[in-house]
Amino acid sequence: MLDLILSGLVSGALYALLATGLVLSYSASGLFNFAHGATAFLTALTFYELHSGLGWPAVPTALLLVLVVAPALGWGLDVLMFRKLAKVGQSAQIVATIGLLVALPALGLWMVELLTDAGAPLKPAENQFGLPGVGPDPAVTWQLLPGVGIDSNQLITWVATAVVAVALWVLLRHTALGLRLRAAVDNRELTELRGISADRLSSVAWALSSMLAGLAGVLATPLLGLSAHDYTLFLFVSATAAVLGRFASIPLAFAGGLGLGVLQNLAAEYASFADDITGFRTAVPFVLLFAGLLLLTRRQRTAGTAAVDAPPPDYLAGMSWGRRWGPWAVAGLLLGIAFYTVTTPFWSGLLAQGLAISLVFLSFTIVTGIGAMVSLAQAAFVTAAALTAGLLMSHGVPFFAAALAGTAVAALLGTVTALPALRIGGRSLALATLALAFLADQVLFQMGWLRNGDTGWEIPRPVFGPVDLSDDRAFGVAMLVLAALCVAGLAWLRGSALGRAMLAVRSAPSAATAVGVSVARTKLLLFALSAGLAGFGGVMYASYNTRITATDFTAMTGLIWLAVVVAAGLRRPQFAVVAGLVFALVPHVMEEYATESTHLPVILFGLAGLALANDPDGYCAAVPTRLHRRRATAAGPPADAAPAAEAKPVPDTPQKPDTTAALSLRGVSAGYDGAAVLHGVSLELRAGEVLALLGANGAGKSTLCKAAAGLLRPTTGEVLVGGRDATREGPVKRSRDGVVLVPEGRGIFPSLSIDENLALHLPDPAARTAVLDRFPSLAARRRVLAGSLSGGEQQMLALAALLERPPAVLIADEPSLGLAPKAADEAFALLAALRDAGTALLLVEEKAVEVLGLADSVAYLAAGRVAWHGPRSEVDTDQLTTAYLGLAADGDSEPVQDPPAEVLPDGAPLPRQERSGEDRTDEEVIRP
Amino acid sequence: MPRLLRAAMLTLIPLTLVVSCNSASTAGKSGSSDGGAASVRGVTDDSIKVGGIVSKTTTSGYSKADTDLGAKARFDRANAEGGVNGRKIDYLGAEDDGQDPAKNLAAARTLVQREKVFAIAPMSSVTFSAAGFLKDQQVPVFGWGTIPSFCDQEYAYGYNGCLVPRPGHNIGLSWQDGLKHVMGGAKGKSVALVANDSDAGKFGIRTYKQGFAAAGFKVTYAKSTVPAAAAPSDWSGYIGEIMKSDGGKAPDAVVSVMQTPHNIGLFTALKRAGYKGTLTDPTDYDPGLLAKKTTRKALDGVYVFIQNEPFQSTKPAMKQFKADIKKAAGEDKPLNMHMMTGYLSADLFLAIAEKAGKDLTTKSFQQAADGFKDTGTMAGEREFPKGHEESFNCGALVRLKDGTYEVASKFRCSGTVPFK
Repeated sequence: MLDLILSGLVSGALYALLATGLVLSYSASGLFNFAHGATAFLTALTFYELHSGLGWPAVPTALLLVLVVAPALGWGLDVLMFRKLAKVGQSAQIVATIGLLVALPALGLWMVELLTDAGAPLKPAENQFGLPGVGPDPAVTWQLLPGVGIDSNQLITWVATAVVAVALWVLLRHTALGLRLRAAVDNRELTELRGISADRLSSVAWALSSMLAGLAGVLATPLLGLSAHDYTLFLFVSATAAVLGRFASIPLAFAGGLGLGVLQNLAAEYASFADDITGFRTAVPFVLLFAGLLLLTRRQRTAGTAAVDAPPPDYLAGMSWGRRWGPWAVAGLLLGIAFYTVTTPFWSGLLAQGLAISLVFLSFTIVTGIGAMVSLAQAAFVTAAALTAGLLMSHGVPFFAAALAGTAVAALLGTVTALPALRIGGRSLALATLALAFLADQVLFQMGWLRNGDTGWEIPRPVFGPVDLSDDRAFGVAMLVLAALCVAGLAWLRGSALGRAMLAVRSAPSAATAVGVSVARTKLLLFALSAGLAGFGGVMYASYNTRITATDFTAMTGLIWLAVVVAAGLRRPQFAVVAGLVFALVPHVMEEYATESTHLPVILFGLAGLALANDPDGYCAAVPTRLHRRRATAAGPPADAAPAAEAKPVPDTPQKPDTTAALSLRGVSAGYDGAAVLHGVSLELRAGEVLALLGANGAGKSTLCKAAAGLLRPTTGEVLVGGRDATREGPVKRSRDGVVLVPEGRGIFPSLSIDENLALHLPDPAARTAVLDRFPSLAARRRVLAGSLSGGEQQMLALAALLERPPAVLIADEPSLGLAPKAADEAFALLAALRDAGTALLLVEEKAVEVLGLADSVAYLAAGRVAWHGPRSEVDTDQLTTAYLGLAADGDSEPVQDPPAEVLPDGAPLPRQERSGEDRTDEEVIRP
Repeated sequence: MPRLLRAAMLTLIPLTLVVSCNSASTAGKSGSSDGGAASVRGVTDDSIKVGGIVSKTTTSGYSKADTDLGAKARFDRANAEGGVNGRKIDYLGAEDDGQDPAKNLAAARTLVQREKVFAIAPMSSVTFSAAGFLKDQQVPVFGWGTIPSFCDQEYAYGYNGCLVPRPGHNIGLSWQDGLKHVMGGAKGKSVALVANDSDAGKFGIRTYKQGFAAAGFKVTYAKSTVPAAAAPSDWSGYIGEIMKSDGGKAPDAVVSVMQTPHNIGLFTALKRAGYKGTLTDPTDYDPGLLAKKTTRKALDGVYVFIQNEPFQSTKPAMKQFKADIKKAAGEDKPLNMHMMTGYLSADLFLAIAEKAGKDLTTKSFQQAADGFKDTGTMAGEREFPKGHEESFNCGALVRLKDGTYEVASKFRCSGTVPFK
């Protein structure tokens, strides 16, 4: 028992290191890094080559790798991709790191290959066992008790892990950097508004995460050897620990890792009850992972779908059928003809293979493309269907009946796999499906009667009537026909009532429920359809191979497939066919024309995943999308520039630049992805003055705040800070120059204590003490998490810190929102105090009455324009009313085209009449 | 979108027609490739084209690249000696299948359809998804018969027979005979059998349990419990039961039927727990393992079962092997089993091709193989079609001692028992 626990703590320590790294990187960018294990592998490989190959001393090499090389890798990857990935949809995120998972090891192995060819005395990067680690080689063993021994490698792992645990704790709890890291985890945007570069923090977190992976890699070298595959499996197991920490708590993840190691050991020893279930012990970690995901994932939002995976604007919308489908139909026809005219048997075979696998790939279009759920279990559906079909055919069942039965089994399995989707979503769902895929590999497909040993089942190609598919060309054409049918079917599905229900469930489950769409049924149906198609394609693919064995398509294969499909794009079903062909053909084309090295195609597939950071819709869509965007940009500027040039009669707007203004906006237009919100807004803020910005819901107030704070870059016009042009500067620079935004809904970090919230703005302890002296109600609870304060206290906390060191400009977006009248009064008192301290204030309010008491001047914003601007004393009720109705600017009301987006980014649907006002530019009307 | 469907159907009709039209030509075609025709794939008057499939690079990092070298060494010598019946072997080298089923098939297609090889030798991988294709295309293939596809497939030849016999066929007893030799008989000796927690492991346990029982050993533990996906990083949980399996005592021998990484872990853990009995496995005969202190230590004293002549043998064939490898490699390369696999696969192909005579076609080759028999080779007594069903049942035990392998039980052939 003792030895089980002691040695379990060794694997546990490695799990803990990896899990901690996962949590760190997740916190930094919100993405689950599938490539974390690959980083560990790469470090292990480098360590081996430097130490054993080049003969560098062990400890300095290990330190160099862990402290310099691995963090540099993490930093570099963050700058190159993770930062951008943080802003794209979830399937692109998952796939990009899966791409990295295959690309990184291949890159390392390729480097070794190249360097060896160049004459460097490296050792071949083959997997070898008992590789020397950091400690003595061979390891020294100590016998603690009879039957209980530990060796030097284990000891080193324990000590190193303990040191890391303490160091991490100190870093996160007792340094300014740690505080900022935690703040960024809490609210990335707010961190930027506080003048702290979240990008920089993200790099730091990735460097740390990569450092931990590197440490795990170096420590695990003697245990895991040089198998990229084993490192990745190890990572998936440690994901369980990260789940225990809910991807947020480092101490929990760390403890979870340690416990996992011990638990796994105990399960190995005491799982004799499951001796009859082949594969049970192998599967223990994945059972834990699955259970952990199911039980511990918090329902942060309505379960199931990736909220950020909003379908992109369809650049082909409204085009003729010929434009949409013509090229594809012609390409398909040419391909079919090519089989019988141009291609040699070899290429025919490859094309047929590509088309067969594209049927499987099409299944991703359903579950991930339409349903926005990432399934990593497609390979299990394929195996299940093909094994079933093979089993039946061995009993004399004809091909098509067997294929249908296989499809049905896959669909059933898909429905079972979908059950977690009813509870969890996003990356948790992806991981859960992965765990199920591993479970299927290790338990279900180990059943002798199903898999028929290593022999598997024969799946002869079908012969029906005069058509004999054992000819590759005939098989290829048959697959082409099937693929075309599936593409057409999917396109139809998307436009059907069922498809609309699926899209509704994807983007707004609760709304879907409200209109009578059953979320559960739709999700199960999505999975069942997708699994069925995968199974059907799997039977076809197996019949291309003429045999299926249980190990042909493993869970890892499923990962690669997803990466290949998403890299091509999920937006239209035919992209999956392209992906299938690319998957089958590219390695051979590369071999033919580029390099013999098998690593390069793998690296390329990986890099295609990375390209998603820039083109989240995949390479198939990238070309037309980019063309479309370029066309749009070419046509765009005049439309945006026009309102500024139009120079609406805005009374009392200073025409002459005023260099004394703390902040001035001049002719600022801004908006979101094609939806223009502000149209040439000009405002001036002077020190010690309060400008109240009034306007109805949806008038563009929050957009104005964002533009002023640097969160949103104006399309035209300029922003001056203290008379200096700051238009192109981001929120960090803006904040450091003294322009501070307290965003809607309080500017505090709820997971940090009051003290820590203050410390972010006031690094000087004396200043913090001064604040607390001034606000005894905060002082009394300085160690309490800010999230547990009342709304008024939170607003007090946000403003109190500023009071001690008043900024040049304060932009407060609805400071009284949701506050009790008394608390609101207190907030306004604090704002007044800030004004008295010399701060220029821009107060944005919907409720005009309170703020008018404080304001020196008032501006009305209506439909993205300043409808009226003048001193407080000149405000009259009529103006107020007309401003609110958005009719003040002018009176024309010709019918206009709908704006591209129907919802403002802050979530408020535009009232009909406002929308017509907003887009009222001549160009919009004229533009076809 | 019914219009869309209609359009799709319009597109499809010509394609469907093409499929139907093709079928007639297909039937005619497959008849003509039957062999015996004027031109035989890969065979000219003075050459025979042969290619290989080998897992050179894998995600598990385990490489069999030297199989290629072994085959090349053997073919080089054959060519130096004048070839087979006047034809030189045009060995194309081995395609890398990366242990990936899809690539395995693609490699076979490349070799057969593009390069038009007569045969594939060697084929060494853990996956053999190309088996069906090669059978359909009637391509003889030679390799390591550790995969069921090498058994009961008329065109597939294991260089030491089929190593995974099916129930109904026979189990060889050469490992057991070797152990009897080193342990001083089987009577009263207890053995523990350990395998991976997978269907293949379960099957291995079934095979060896019968074999060891038939040889007179007392099998006190026979379980497939060790996680197969990746070697456990921690073995404590797996050895506890083994150490107590012989009525509370440790068994006299622990037999591992797993792969090298698993064996190293298992043996290290057993030794750490103080095990003093006999350790044996069938995979760790790799002089490369001696290069590392840890593996040397883990495997010290372990008896490794091999099914061909050990490198330490003094027979002329082994001297020839070493000379051939050295010549092909151009340097003194440490020997390993992969070289032997490649070498003996090529050797078997050459022997059968030789027997097929001057008129070499797939048909004449297959006829020569049917009833092929020779003795005294480094793989023992080779015999087909018996070799399609069972191994040649010859083996040796080598033991790692003080950093070198020594022959503990000489290479010899043994009897078989029926596999129930």
